[in-house]
Amino acid sequence: MIEFDALTKAYGELRAVDGLTLTVRPGEVYALLGANGAGKTTALRCLATLLKPTSGTARVAGHDVQAAPLQARAALGFLSASMGLYQRLTPRELLEYFGRLHGMAEDTLRARVEELIELFEIDRFDGRLCGTLSTGQRQRVSIARTVLHDPPALILDEPTLGLDILSGRAIFTFIDGARKRQRAVLFSTHQMDEVELLADRVGVLAGGRLVAEGTIEEVVRGTGQKNLARAFLHILESGRAGRPMTEAGRGGGAGSPGPEPGGHPMREAGR
Amino acid sequence: MRGRAVWAVLRKELRETLRDRRTLLVMIVVPVLLYPAMMVMMEQMAVFGQRSLEAAAVRVAVVNGPPGDEWLAADDVAIRTSRAETPPLGALRAAEVDAVVVFPEGAWREDDTNVVRIHYDGTRERSSYAHGLVQRRLAEWGDTVAAQRFRARGLPPALARPVRVEAESVASAEEVGGYMLGRFLPLLLILMTVLGAFYPSIDLAAGEKERGTLEALLTVPVPADHLVAGKFIAAALMGLTAAALNLGSMLLTFQAGVIQFGDAVDIQFQVPLRSVLVILAVLALLAVLFSSLFLGIAVRSHSFKEAQNALTPVYILSLVPAMLPMMPGLEFSTGFALVPVAGVGFLFRDLMSGSVAMGPAVVAVAATAGYAGLALVYAARAFGREDVLFGTGGGAAAPVRRRWFGPRADGAPAVPSATVALGLAGVCALLFFYGARPLGMRFGEAGILISQWAFLALPALLLVGAGRYSARQTLALRAPGGRALAGAVLVAAGGMPIGWLIAWLQGFVLEIPWEFLEAMQRMLAADSAGRLFWLLLVVAVTPAICEELVFRGVLLQGLRTRLSPWGAIAASALVFGAFHLSFETAIRLLPTAWLGLLLAYVVWRTGSIFTGMLMHLVNNGTIVLLLFAPGLMARLGEPGAPPPWLAVLLAPVLLWAGLRLLPSTPASEPPSTQM
Repeated sequence: MIEFDALTKAYGELRAVDGLTLTVRPGEVYALLGANGAGKTTALRCLATLLKPTSGTARVAGHDVQAAPLQARAALGFLSASMGLYQRLTPRELLEYFGRLHGMAEDTLRARVEELIELFEIDRFDGRLCGTLSTGQRQRVSIARTVLHDPPALILDEPTLGLDILSGRAIFTFIDGARKRQRAVLFSTHQMDEVELLADRVGVLAGGRLVAEGTIEEVVRGTGQKNLARAFLHILESGRAGRPMTEAGRGGGAGSPGPEPGGHPMREAGR
Repeated sequence: MRGRAVWAVLRKELRETLRDRRTLLVMIVVPVLLYPAMMVMMEQMAVFGQRSLEAAAVRVAVVNGPPGDEWLAADDVAIRTSRAETPPLGALRAAEVDAVVVFPEGAWREDDTNVVRIHYDGTRERSSYAHGLVQRRLAEWGDTVAAQRFRARGLPPALARPVRVEAESVASAEEVGGYMLGRFLPLLLILMTVLGAFYPSIDLAAGEKERGTLEALLTVPVPADHLVAGKFIAAALMGLTAAALNLGSMLLTFQAGVIQFGDAVDIQFQVPLRSVLVILAVLALLAVLFSSLFLGIAVRSHSFKEAQNALTPVYILSLVPAMLPMMPGLEFSTGFALVPVAGVGFLFRDLMSGSVAMGPAVVAVAATAGYAGLALVYAARAFGREDVLFGTGGGAAAPVRRRWFGPRADGAPAVPSATVALGLAGVCALLFFYGARPLGMRFGEAGILISQWAFLALPALLLVGAGRYSARQTLALRAPGGRALAGAVLVAAGGMPIGWLIAWLQGFVLEIPWEFLEAMQRMLAADSAGRLFWLLLVVAVTPAICEELVFRGVLLQGLRTRLSPWGAIAASALVFGAFHLSFETAIRLLPTAWLGLLLAYVVWRTGSIFTGMLMHLVNNGTIVLLLFAPGLMARLGEPGAPPPWLAVLLAPVLLWAGLRLLPSTPASEPPSTQM
């Protein structure tokens, strides 16, 4: 279970995330959408205990990220777009390193590493240093590292950024598998096709605020657009013009009242 | 679990580092191969050079020489002579002969000194060698001739040489070796230790950011300080290993080198095992100091390259004190023991030559341990700060770049950042260091006046203008109230006796440059009212304005954008103290820093630089006035006089009263970086 409750992260005057409230339930895949600089990465980093929220809270598997950061970290797997690996370690050494940092017992760790190496077909390049691996191979090692300690919550920050179709497909398979194993998955992306394939629910961030939330169908319907990509663009443009999307979607024009403080009508639609 | 995490990080870092060719090269290959290779090369080159000189006889042209070359030994194969009518200097220059020996023209004077001139080419190795050889032969022949003359007159030949000098050093060959090598080996050892920690620190900190592994690492359920501990131990171990390998390789090589040179070198290099162990232990502290410092700096950079750029000046700066033990005439004192790196260098030097002063040695080790602890705290704090780890600051150099080279948006900063402010203080210090002395020599006291305005006030004002900062905020230009001014005066009055006390106490530890102080005192003692006003202008009014603009203006306000009030006050005071350091006046650091502390505190509390200017004026002006007042000159003139004890007792009361008069809460919020 992943929960944000009125979470705000401010840098001086700038509110990178502004009063974000959302929940991802076990077995649910939630896609966080937004233009560049909308606050997606900041929100995910707050959840991953990398950044301290200015106000509000976030919880992972019931652990408050500020009050109990170590317990929260133990319950989450975090995968960032960079998929950084240690260049001079082999995949096996890397997995063992993170396993030890997660406090796994040596026997359990060894067995788990073997299992993951087989599962993600890492055995074919297990003896090579990570610095020599291809993008696809690196991605598989990164995913294995993320799920090594079998966390109940997965946070994926633009996991398919820069990947080709084949490599991207591995991510889809992984996310789908996580849902089946009742993991709560929160991922950020710019790829609408990914969202349509994977997400149970979506949330749209703009200027740090959650301006729309719901199932894909709800979001598309609420804007009166044909598909998610158009709906997303419509939401962003409406936000920029200061118009409520529902009105805009139904042909409302300039002069319509602005959105209520504290939430967009679309957001209510998804509740 | 936590110990296991530290161990896991340490093991992983060591494994990765040992797989890095660049680190291995610096850490192992250089020390293990470099010294023996250097020694072999030097020896081979020396032997080769000597042999090539000795291989063929030198060609010497003789003018007016005695027939038969009797000045040469009968079987001399080293010199081949030819006769010439006039000195063939052209041939000498053209390297056709190696030396020209000109005997006196006419008859050989049996009862007098005959001058024999040797012409040679000082730019040619072979000609210089010929010069030495011919001179030796002629001297030997001269001795023989003298002995013959004495014998012919029935006198003992020893009469010709009434004194024969025999010198013998009481130092053993080991001690001489230790002394000679001890002059430069400490520098080499320190250099290699610092270099050993250099790349691993960058790799362990900035490398994590560049590779994108930092986020994954910081989402493991391990506190950041445990991760830092593992990394820091790894970096320190690398530095120490590099140092140990260097030390071992040096010892073996130099000992082997002496054996190879055989009789040619009359020194031996033997360091007792106990000293080697002490050196290694102290090097461990040094490794801790530098690995922490480097990690703390490197983690603030975004990439390997940026970290390298940030660390290189620190590395070079650290080598400056390491050179002190190489300077002739400098003894290991408590004062030097307190100087970071230099203290350790002196300790190594004395350990190698076999005589160590215990007091300074203990101080040097304790001080280095203290500095290492501080550096460790600095590194650990950096790893816990999200603005350092994920900040959008753009790295250590970014603030400077943005201010000076980037486009300026509407929300331009009102106050320079801490980095820019420190940069200004550094520029002022450099300008002063290189400019004030020539100006002082050329224009005398007017030069001091010019320096203050040109090298302090002007750069500060230029920065505010060119950087388009808010002058009001950057220079704390705020009118103070009457109470604040009265409080400032009382604080200044209370601070002076304590400053004097600090200076007096320093005399027990540091060497006081009496000549310098007496010269200063003579300069500041006015003998007429006109001179008094001039001196007040030069040493009281001008510094009160110019130094305040830089140190309590730009520096303090800039530091406040980054540090807590106390952090900024302490840092600005230290910089202020350091600014007053010079070759003659190391003792001014602490008293001046104390003054800087009071000035910065009062300026912070009142929000007004004018209170600082007034305090500065009171402080400097009082000294001039005291020296002008009749009777006090003699009292102050005693070298090493303690401050008047009544004043010392009164000082806390004055300070308390002054502080009570200051506004109860700081007058202004921390300077915003936004307009």
